Amino acid sequence: MRYKSYLLILCACLLVAGSIAMSASPDQETPPITQVNVQVLGPQRLGPLPPVIAPPGNPQSSAKIHLGKELYFDTRLSADGTISCATCHNPALGWSDAGPTSAGIRGQLGGRRSPPVSNAAYAPLQFWDGRSPSLEDQAKGPIQNPIEMGNTHQAMIQTIDAISGYIEEFREVFGEGPITVDQVADAIAAFERTVVTTDSKFDRYARGDHQALTPLERRGLEVFNGKGHCTSCHWGPYFSDGRFHNLGVPAKDPKNPDRGRYDVTKDPRDMGAFKTPTVRDAARRPPYLHDGSEKTLESLIDFYDRGGGKDPNLDPLMVPLGLTKNEKSALVAFIKALDSLNPEVADVKPIAPGDYHK
Amino acid sequence: MKKTLTLAFGLVISLLALSQAALAIPAFARKYGYNCNMCHVAFPKLNDWGQRFRDNGYQTPGQAGLERTVFEAGIPLAFRTNAGYSVYHGEEGTTSGFHLYNLDLLAAGVLHKNISFLFVYTPRVDEPAADFTGPGDGDNPAQLAAIESANIVFSNIVRDKLNLRVGRFEPGFQLLSSKRNYYILQPFESYGFVGSRNGFDFSANHIGVEATGRFKPGLKYALGFINGSGANPDNNRFGDLYFALSKTFGRGEGQSAGQRFGVFGYFGWQPADPGAPIVSPLGDAAGQSNKNFYRLGGDVSLNWKTLNLQAMAFRGVDDAAFNDIDPAEDYEFWGGVVQLDWAAMANNRLVGSVMYNWVRPPSAGSMGKIDAYSALARYYLGSWSAVNVALHAEYTHRLVGSVLPFKEDLFTLLLDFDF
Repeated sequence: MRYKSYLLILCACLLVAGSIAMSASPDQETPPITQVNVQVLGPQRLGPLPPVIAPPGNPQSSAKIHLGKELYFDTRLSADGTISCATCHNPALGWSDAGPTSAGIRGQLGGRRSPPVSNAAYAPLQFWDGRSPSLEDQAKGPIQNPIEMGNTHQAMIQTIDAISGYIEEFREVFGEGPITVDQVADAIAAFERTVVTTDSKFDRYARGDHQALTPLERRGLEVFNGKGHCTSCHWGPYFSDGRFHNLGVPAKDPKNPDRGRYDVTKDPRDMGAFKTPTVRDAARRPPYLHDGSEKTLESLIDFYDRGGGKDPNLDPLMVPLGLTKNEKSALVAFIKALDSLNPEVADVKPIAPGDYHK
Repeated sequence: MKKTLTLAFGLVISLLALSQAALAIPAFARKYGYNCNMCHVAFPKLNDWGQRFRDNGYQTPGQAGLERTVFEAGIPLAFRTNAGYSVYHGEEGTTSGFHLYNLDLLAAGVLHKNISFLFVYTPRVDEPAADFTGPGDGDNPAQLAAIESANIVFSNIVRDKLNLRVGRFEPGFQLLSSKRNYYILQPFESYGFVGSRNGFDFSANHIGVEATGRFKPGLKYALGFINGSGANPDNNRFGDLYFALSKTFGRGEGQSAGQRFGVFGYFGWQPADPGAPIVSPLGDAAGQSNKNFYRLGGDVSLNWKTLNLQAMAFRGVDDAAFNDIDPAEDYEFWGGVVQLDWAAMANNRLVGSVMYNWVRPPSAGSMGKIDAYSALARYYLGSWSAVNVALHAEYTHRLVGSVLPFKEDLFTLLLDFDF
């Protein structure tokens, strides 16, 4: 009789567990196949970047890329003509800026570090909090952000519409009709999709050139993908999972902390979480973390080695690493080996003022 | 001479029988593209990240539902084996020879969000030869094929706080895992110690259901309800119960960071009379003269830089009905282990360890007293994508009995690899 009771209890446990586990994931309905991308599928092996795929609604063309480049460097998109995209996403500074956070119009300081534009084409969501689903959507944001470019879309279009050279180029790229903010964003996004670093010492090593990395860099790669746990977030060819993590970065203003992804999703699990940035070209754009609070790669690695900062919502991926001094040196060497060797990306120069459309 | 060799061979085989097939699951490394050391201090010992991965039902911590299932990631198969050369020295002589010590066939992965599985099959290896008829032949588990683990995990039934594991599994009362220890031939002596007629084996995997979970900060529990007879159908009409409770101070899980303290207990019943008046078609027996026994103990795992000191001790008490030495008294014993591991070189390519095991049976049964002193070094070969070949050297000096103890030494050099 007692045996029977135990059996019944066990069966009940199984049924309850199964039904709860299945019902606990109503949001996990199988997505349409077109929505399945690398980020959804989870961690991927490190390797060279694949070709960029442009969205069907914004195909690449030489004329559009050229127009986007002009717009990217044009300070006239801002309210007072002082700030361009390149002001905060400067090719000479790893497509970011000197930080720690970015200065916008009239010297106003933002709360977050300028994310790099290089390889942003591979990010499934844009901005540190992922509030933008595409480069096109992202490009519209800073123009009307009061502490970035401080303009309005309408005023920006009026400015462009008064420049005959732009009118001709927009007509060539987009056909007849008034210039729209969507066209401006499409052109900038098209240019940004060319800012891709497909060649680094690591990429050469991954393609089979075993001499491309020094022994120290190879040790760093091993630590990066193993004991250092870097690839638990910085995985795949993009060296980022495109997801959001709370690293316990101390708030600069504890009374008004940056809530990160939470402000987009309102999910308490996203409180204080920020998007994983790519490690490609990271050595070229200190300081680090979303608020630029770690000045060097060395101090950044020390931060991770401690298991991050203190936060009640600290990501469970964050654990103390127990790295030795040699392992830290190797990690720094490897991260530097991710610097781009693409001259067409590294040497992009701003368009000289005299060459702009008048 | 023949008798000596036979005895020595038998002892080596006994050690092999006690040794545990250990886990390291390269199927996960392949799925994620991670190096083994993402989850392991050095395989097979889990680090804190790997412990959280295991606790989360073989899903990336905090990211359930955001990774490929076994249907998307390919066949999640892995193998682990080790082969090498052993020298055994007893009081009456020395033997040596090549051996294939273990072979594990593993499969594990995520079936659906928060539903995962682990399967470990250990086929019979030629150790000893199929026609071996020496001491213990037929009773030696090393000869037998076994499904070491076959379980399914329902994770995050209550987020982080309640997970259920059902099937055959390594029970959570083993806060120090013998399955994921560096030592291949030297087991935790106290886990496998059977001093009375109670045949319960603390080191065995068991069939049943286990609830686990964690509460912030660093508090974890395990509660289990199992057969208590290893792989076998239940041999009495009672299920066995166990618990484990641990608290980690500081960051980490106590595996490679943080300082963990735990307690555990096991309460079971075994038939004192081998007769079985009622046996079900599935082999379950009602048992006869069922008597209780328990194990109660604690463990600690302390970390400093790349050093990890682990210690565990427990008290075992079996009902007097199991005590052949003094049937008027319960059979009581103490046992435990202290182990110090050191991970060295970049990415922990070299690990060293020393370990002391002891078992203290009741004074009347002091012939069963065990002291074992062990040391090992492992050096790992591999690349950035995997360090999955270990050159392994292990030595144990073992003393059995209290008066003129029997002394034996076992030295082994082997290759331990998985893929």
